[in-house]
Amino acid sequence: MQKKSIWKKLTASREASLVIVLIVLCAVVSIFSPNFLSPTNIGQIFRNNALIMVMAVGMLCVLLTGGIDISITSILAFSGMTVGMLLKNEILSNTFLLFVIATAIGLGCGILNGVIISKGKVTPIICTMGFMYIWRGLAYVVSNSSWASGSDVAGYSDFGKDGSAGPYVILIVVFVLFFILMKWTKFGRKIYAVGSNAEAARISGINVDRTLTSAYAVMGMLSGLCGALSVAIYASAQPNMQYGKEMDVIAACVIGGASMNGGRGTIVGTFFGALIMAIIAKALPLVGIDSIAQNTVKGVIILAVVILNVVTQRMMDRQNLERREM
Amino acid sequence: MAGKSGRTIQAVPQNSVKKMLLSWEGALVLLFIALNIFNTIISPSYTLTNVLREMPKYLAEIFMLFPMAYILVLGDIDISVGSIVCLSATVACMASNAGLPMVLVFAVGLLVGVACGLVNGIILTRFTELPSMIVTLATQIIFRGIAEISLGSGGSVSLKNIDGFNAIGGKLGKVPYVFFFVMIAAVIFTVILAKCSFGRKLYAIGSNSTAAYYAGVNVQKCRLIVFTLMGLMAGFCAMFLTSALFGANTTTGQGFEMDVIAMAVFGGIATTGGKGNLIGGIISAFIIVLLRIALGQINLNSQLILVIIGALLIIAVLIPGVSSNLRARRKMKTTA
Repeated sequence: MQKKSIWKKLTASREASLVIVLIVLCAVVSIFSPNFLSPTNIGQIFRNNALIMVMAVGMLCVLLTGGIDISITSILAFSGMTVGMLLKNEILSNTFLLFVIATAIGLGCGILNGVIISKGKVTPIICTMGFMYIWRGLAYVVSNSSWASGSDVAGYSDFGKDGSAGPYVILIVVFVLFFILMKWTKFGRKIYAVGSNAEAARISGINVDRTLTSAYAVMGMLSGLCGALSVAIYASAQPNMQYGKEMDVIAACVIGGASMNGGRGTIVGTFFGALIMAIIAKALPLVGIDSIAQNTVKGVIILAVVILNVVTQRMMDRQNLERREM
Repeated sequence: MAGKSGRTIQAVPQNSVKKMLLSWEGALVLLFIALNIFNTIISPSYTLTNVLREMPKYLAEIFMLFPMAYILVLGDIDISVGSIVCLSATVACMASNAGLPMVLVFAVGLLVGVACGLVNGIILTRFTELPSMIVTLATQIIFRGIAEISLGSGGSVSLKNIDGFNAIGGKLGKVPYVFFFVMIAAVIFTVILAKCSFGRKLYAIGSNSTAAYYAGVNVQKCRLIVFTLMGLMAGFCAMFLTSALFGANTTTGQGFEMDVIAMAVFGGIATTGGKGNLIGGIISAFIIVLLRIALGQINLNSQLILVIIGALLIIAVLIPGVSSNLRARRKMKTTA
C-alpha cells in the first residue's frame, strides 16, 4: 500500500514525471554519445537556451492568467537592437547601464501590452500580434535595417562570451527570484487566483486589471533583458533576431505543464520543460536524425504532449467517476 | 444587416443613413475612400494600371481571409495557415518539376492543403478540450518542418517550367485572373455565412457552443468542415502565390496567418466568436492591400509598413472596448 502511494505520487506530480523523462532522455543520449553529460556540453546547452528559459518564466506568468504573448521576440529584437545601436554609434558602452536600458524598454512594452489587454478588453493574442508587428518594425527602424557586428559590440559581448559566467548568473537569479515570487508572495498568488477564476478573484478583492498588467509587464521586462543578453551571447545584433522563437517559449511552458486556460503551471515545471526541449534539440544530430528534421520533431513532441495531457486527464476523470459510483 | 454585424459604434442609431455610416462596415467604406485620396496625394504613380499590376502579389492572401473569418466566428483560431501555404507551394513546385501536367499539379497543391486542414480538424474534434491555438501552433511547426525536409539542404525550389503557372497568373485586359477568383470566392463565402443555414450554425456555435449542441447543431462536424476549408483555401493561396513567385522556399508564407487574422479583425470580426461579417473583412483586406501598394510605391521602408499595420490593428480592436466603456460610464452618470 505504502509503495503504491509513492508510485502514484510520482506519476501524479507533473514535475516528477518530467524529471523521469529527463533522466531517461539523458540516459538514452549518453548511450549514443558518451560525453554528452560532460560539464562543458551541459554548460553549452544552458548558454544556448538561456534566452528561451528566461522568457519562459515570463510566459508562464502570462499563461497562468489565461493569456498569451506572441510579441516577446519582437520586444527582444527592439531592445536588443537599441543596445546594438548604442554600442555601434559609441554612445554608451557601460554593460550594466545597457542592460538596465534594455530591461526598461521591455518593461515599457510589456506595460503597454498589459494596459491594452486589461483596460481595453482586447483578446491577448490579437493585441500582442499587433505589437509583434510594431516592435519588430521599430527594430528595423532604429537600426535603419543594418546590423551591429561582432567588432561593434566587442567589449560588451565579454559578458556573454563562451566561458563567461554572465548568462548563468542571469539564468539562476531569474529562476530563483521567480520561484520565490510565484510560490510565496502576494504577486504570485494573485496571478494564480486571477488565472483560475477571474470573477472569484475580483470578488475576493484582487485588482484583476492590475494583476493582468503586472503579468504582461513581467513578460515584457524579461524579454527586454533577453534582448541585451542576446546581443552579449551571440556578439551581434540583427533586427530579425530570434524570429519565430516565441513558439519555442510557449512550447517549453506547455511541456512543463502550464495550461493554456490559465491557473495551472509551475516555475519548476517550466524549467524542466525548457530543459527537455533543449536536450532534444541538442541530441537529435547525435542519434542520427538530420538537423533539417529538427522542427518537425519539435512540433510532433508538442502535439504529443498536449494530447497526452488530455488523455490522462480523461482517464483521471473517469476513475474519479467510477470511485464515486462504487 | 447592421443587426447581424453585431459591432456597431453606437448602441441605438437614430435613422438608417446614420446607422449605415456608424456601423463598422460604413466606417470602413469611408476609410477606404479616404485611403484612396490619401494614396493619390502621396504617390504620383498610384494609378489604376499600376495598382492592378502590383496587386497579384498581395491578392493571394485574401483567399485565406474567408475561411479564417469562419474560424474566428466559431471562436477558434488557426495560426498554421502560413505553413500550409509553404508546404502546398513546395509540393506543387516539386510535382511540376517532376513533369506532371498543370492540372495535376494544381490538384496536388490543393490536396496537400486539404490534407493539412483535415489534420488540424481531426485533432481538434477528437480532443475537444484542446484550444485551437496550441494545436495549430504545433502543426505550424510540423507543416513547415515537413516542407523543410522535402526542400533539403538548399532550402528552396524554383520552377523549371513556368508555362502552367504563367497561365494562372495571366490577365484579362488589365485585370489579373486572381482578382476574379478572389471576387468569386468572396461572393460564395459571404452568401454562405450570411444567408445559409451553415452560416447560422457557425454563429450559433461561436455565441454558445453548448446551446448550439443542444439545439441540434453538429458542432464538431461544422468545425471539421471549416478547418478543412481553411486548408483548401490555403492551397489556392499557395497556387496563386507560386504563379507570382515561380518557386518556393522555407520562408514562403511566413507571417501570412498574422496578415490574414489582422484583415479579419480589422474588418470587425471578433476573435471571441459569434460576431462580425465578411463584408467588413473584404473591405479591410483591400484597405490593407492598397495601403501596402501605395507605401511600397513611395519606397517607404517595408518594415515601417508593418508598424503601421500593427498600429491599425490595435486601434481597430481598441475602439469597441473603449466605446463600450465610455457608454457604460455615461449610463452610470445618468442613472446616478
